[in-house]
Order: sequence, then C-alpha cells, then structure tokens
Amino acid sequence: MNEFLQLLTSGVMEGSLYALLAASIVLVFKSTQVASLAHGQILAFGAIFLYFFLGSLQLPLIVALILAFAATALLGLVIERTTLRPLIGQPLFSSFLVTFAVFMFFDGIFQLIVKGGTLTLPHFLPKGTLHLGYLSIPTGEFCSFLVALLLFALLALMFRYTKVGLGLRASAENHQLAQSTGISVKQIFSIIWVISSLVACVAGIATAHVTDIYYTLPQMGIKGLIVGLFGGLDSIPGALIGGIILGIMENLSAGYLDPVVGGGMKEVAAYVMLLLILLIKPYGLLGLVRIERI
Amino acid sequence: MRPCGIFDERYTQDMAIIRTKQHWAALVGALIFIYLFPLFGSYYLVSFMNNLFITIIVVLGLQIVSGYCGQISFGQPAFMAVGAYASAILTMKAGLSFWLALPLSGIIAGVFGIIGGAPSLRIKGFYLAIATIAIHFVTMWLILHLKITGATQGLNAAPPEIFGYALDTDERMYYLIATVMLIMTFGARNLVRSKAGRALVAIRDNDLAAEVMGINLFYYKLLAFFISCLYAGVAGSLFGHLIMVVHPEQFTLTHALWYLGMIIIGGMGSIPGAFFGVIFVRVLDELVLFASPFLSNAFPWLGASPAAALGISAFGLVLIIFLVFEPRGLAHRWEIFKSSYRLYPFAY
Repeated sequence: MNEFLQLLTSGVMEGSLYALLAASIVLVFKSTQVASLAHGQILAFGAIFLYFFLGSLQLPLIVALILAFAATALLGLVIERTTLRPLIGQPLFSSFLVTFAVFMFFDGIFQLIVKGGTLTLPHFLPKGTLHLGYLSIPTGEFCSFLVALLLFALLALMFRYTKVGLGLRASAENHQLAQSTGISVKQIFSIIWVISSLVACVAGIATAHVTDIYYTLPQMGIKGLIVGLFGGLDSIPGALIGGIILGIMENLSAGYLDPVVGGGMKEVAAYVMLLLILLIKPYGLLGLVRIERI
Repeated sequence: MRPCGIFDERYTQDMAIIRTKQHWAALVGALIFIYLFPLFGSYYLVSFMNNLFITIIVVLGLQIVSGYCGQISFGQPAFMAVGAYASAILTMKAGLSFWLALPLSGIIAGVFGIIGGAPSLRIKGFYLAIATIAIHFVTMWLILHLKITGATQGLNAAPPEIFGYALDTDERMYYLIATVMLIMTFGARNLVRSKAGRALVAIRDNDLAAEVMGINLFYYKLLAFFISCLYAGVAGSLFGHLIMVVHPEQFTLTHALWYLGMIIIGGMGSIPGAFFGVIFVRVLDELVLFASPFLSNAFPWLGASPAAALGISAFGLVLIIFLVFEPRGLAHRWEIFKSSYRLYPFAY
C-alpha cells in the first residue's frame, strides 16, 4: 500500500508537468485548430534559454527567468508568424505537418547545443525532501507541482475575466463571427502562441529542473500531444486530468508491470493508453464531440 | 495532357503508360543507367544508391496510403522493422530460402499493417496520425521485449544466394535491390490507375461522398494499409539482408518523419513524386554531409561532427519552405514543366 501511494504521488507530480505541456498545446488547438508538435521544441528551448542566462551568463535568478520567458515568447511568435500564418486557409493538415517540420528544424539546433549529452540547470528551487507520513516527495518536484497548479488557475482566470480571454474564447468558437464582432483573429493567434509558449517554457524549466536537459527532451512534445488527445484537444481541464492520469499510469506500470515484462513499460504505457482512448472515445475525456461520419 | 500531334486511336494506346518515342528513350536510358551503374560508380555511390532504392520502395508504400488514400501514417518504419525481422527469422531460424522469405515478409508486414490500420476505420486525419505514432512505439516495444526477435541484441541476416553465388557485397545486392525497386514501381504505377487506385483517391478527396458512391471504406482503407505495409516489409527485408543485421535502432520515429517529409517535398499523390522527394532529400543530406567538415572548421562551436544535426535542420527548413510555398511538391512543378514543354511554341 505504501509503495502504491508513493507511486501515486510521484505520478501526480510528474503528471502535472505533462499537464502543463498539454495545456499549451490545447491552448493553441482551441483557438487555431492546429495541433502542434512544435511545442516539444518550445519547451526544450525554454529550458535551454534559462540554462544560457542562468548557467552561462550567471545572471540573477529573476532577470534570467524574465529573459528566458521573453526569449521563448519571441520564439513562439516567430514560429507563428513565419510558418503558420502563411498557411491560414490551407487544409488544417498542412498546419500540423508544418509544426512537425518546425520540430525537425529546431531538433537539429537542439542536438547541436546539447551534443548528445545533458546540460544541468543550476538548482534554484529548494532542495531536500518533504516527508508526509510515509510518503517522501522531493521539494523541487513539489514546487513545480504547485507552480503548475497556479498556472492552471491563472489560465482559467484569464479566460474567464479578461478581455483578451474573451477574445480567445470567441475566436475558438468561430473565426468568422469573432472577426465580424471586431476581434482581430490574427492578433489573437499571435497572442495565443505567446501565451502557450510561456506555458510550455514553464513546463520546460520545471522538467529540466527535475531531469536535466537531456537530448530526448523535445520528444516530450509527443507526450504532450498524447495527453492533449487523452483529455480532449479543446479542453483545458481535460489537459490537467489527462496529464495527471498519464503520470500515474506511467509510474504504476513502471512499478508493477516492469518486473513482470522486463522493463520499458514507462515509455510504452502512454501509447497503449492513447490507442485505447482513440478507439473508445476519439475526442478525449472532456473534448467536444463532433458528430461526423468516418 | 497529350503532346501535340499524338492521337490515341485504340484503347491500348489510351491506357499506355509509355506513349511517345521520347518516353521510350528515357525509359531505356534510365534502365541502362541503373543496370550499368555499378560498373562506373564507386563503392560509396553504389551503397548510396542501395539506400536510395530501398527508401524509394518504402516511400512508394507511404505514397499509396498517405498520398493516394489520405491516411497519414507514421508507422512505416515499424512495418519495415516487421518485414526485416520476419525475413531474418524465416531465413535464419526457419531455414527458408531468401527468395521465399522476401515476398513472405512483405505479406507478414502487410497483415500487421491491416492490424495497425484498423484505427483508421474509426478516426481520421490528425488523430489517425497520432494513433500510428502509438502503433510505432508499441511495435518497437514488442520487438525489444520478445524472445524471438533477439531483444536488444537484434538478429543476423545472411546474404541471399543465387545458384550458390552469395550476394554479400553492396555491388552484388545492387542488382537485386534495383530489380525489386523497378518491379515495385511498376506495380504502384499500375495500382493507382486501377479501380482500387481510383477508389483510394475518392476516399482521400471526400470519404463520405466515396461511401455514398458505393466504395467500401472498410475494405479499401485496409487494402491501402496492406499494400503500403507490404512495400515497407519488402524494403525492410532487403535492408536487413543488405546490412546483414537487424536491430531496433535502425527503425526509429525519426525515420517516419523523414519518409513523410519526402512525400511532402516530392508531392502527395504522385508516383514520380516519391522519386523526386527521396532523391531530393537524400542528395540534400549528402550535401550537408560534405559541407559539415567545412562548417565545423569555420564555426568551432558547432562541434566536431555536426552532420546529423545539421541534416535534420536543413530537412526541416526545406520542409517548411515547401509547405509554405509549394505544398503540391516537386511533382507539381514537374507537371507544369512537362505541359509547357509539350506545348512549346504555344502558351496553351
């Protein structure tokens, strides 16, 4: 039982990071209908930027964080401007393919920086381990978990109460109607890419803080897509739930199935889960069901 | 578009792939070039061509399922792996001859493809693409954890023999690979203008309308997956016997991205497009490989061996450019060139 609870908590901690990444993908999908693979790279580059400002240039933490956020937001903006905006009006599938081309392009640059090894972020979150009864949680992970929850709350508040959030929701509903009520849909697209890049950046920094910047970090983008699909690609609460479920599933299958089948369950659990959800409930747990014949 | 002054008087003329004298000259020239290539090409060039031909077979399969049928698949390397492993197991463990194992491994991969393509009956578009990524990872996980596939050790594959003569070098395998590639191309070219090919195009353009016209979606989608995986399986078998070892590391998701990129660059839904895409990307990759030592000297921060990473970046960049400026790919440019050449003195 103790082991089960321990696996459960670390699953929730890891899952919250997946949830953040998924939230950034869901944000983009919700308003632009583009499912993005490029967010894996935005996440990785967020971590790289922080490593550059904090580790290489030795800037103070706050300045480094702000600069890293600014650089990532700029990256997101540039990606949107140069690759996705020219494709407005083309079939949505080419937008998906262009995000994967962006993924490949940045993957090369990322591999040049990392060179097949790992970069270690300077640890800035409190060290040590929290003990709750018989559970032990690394404090760093716990902090990232709290930050993730906070960010979800902020996103919800932004969508609910600000004018930008209202514009985002309106253009998510219907581009043409939003345009005719005076909302600049193109501007909304830029804003959404900036916001989602910031969210991805936070996810990247939190992940890199736990696991270092290793050369397969961008592949988390695929996990983010899976979580997004699992929760429903147009539902932010779905991303949170999906992320946490994936984290728990991965940890439980690694803890209980690995000894039986001989390792590697952690990687494949996500994909098995994805195949099941796609066959049973193709629009995800909380996704909007579109009725169409296939 | 017919060239000026060429009229189809009989049905066979109307249906012929090769219509004009120029066509025949180009075909004979290409065949002579392909079959005499090892005589004047260096060892490096011959092994480059081997890889090129194998990639062409895989991409032709992908072209059928993604380009013609519109079901985007990232599963091609996994099915290639199935073919390679099937062939290695059939020849080394079951003791079959390679000449039997080659088609059998294609059929085994095809049957796996039907299983892998089953989700296409329920989901489509982007959801299906992600499902095929999942299928890729599950297949590779199975290969890594089953006893019969040798787990992380991989398997050995003996070179094929013909009349006691072992095809154990790249030059000797070249003729086999080139022949199989030509047969597969001929098959694909004819498949896509048959009833089945037209059904696939109809499904791609509008699946609902296709179903209303009486096309059995269930049958034709699975047929597309079967054929595409058959191509992948045959290519995998050739690949395994060419380098004589089959290992999970040879079939990664990155390969799937490359194959998909090749059909985008070449042009979706076009058999020559598969050729254009593969040749363009492979040549680009080789150019980057040549340029990388100079770049690495000029910019030391790139590191000692930036070729692989630069290759991926260059490929991504080219892909972005094609998607933004010429989404119909090189094949479309080729069609434009052909029609203006045939009409030469006139504008239209």
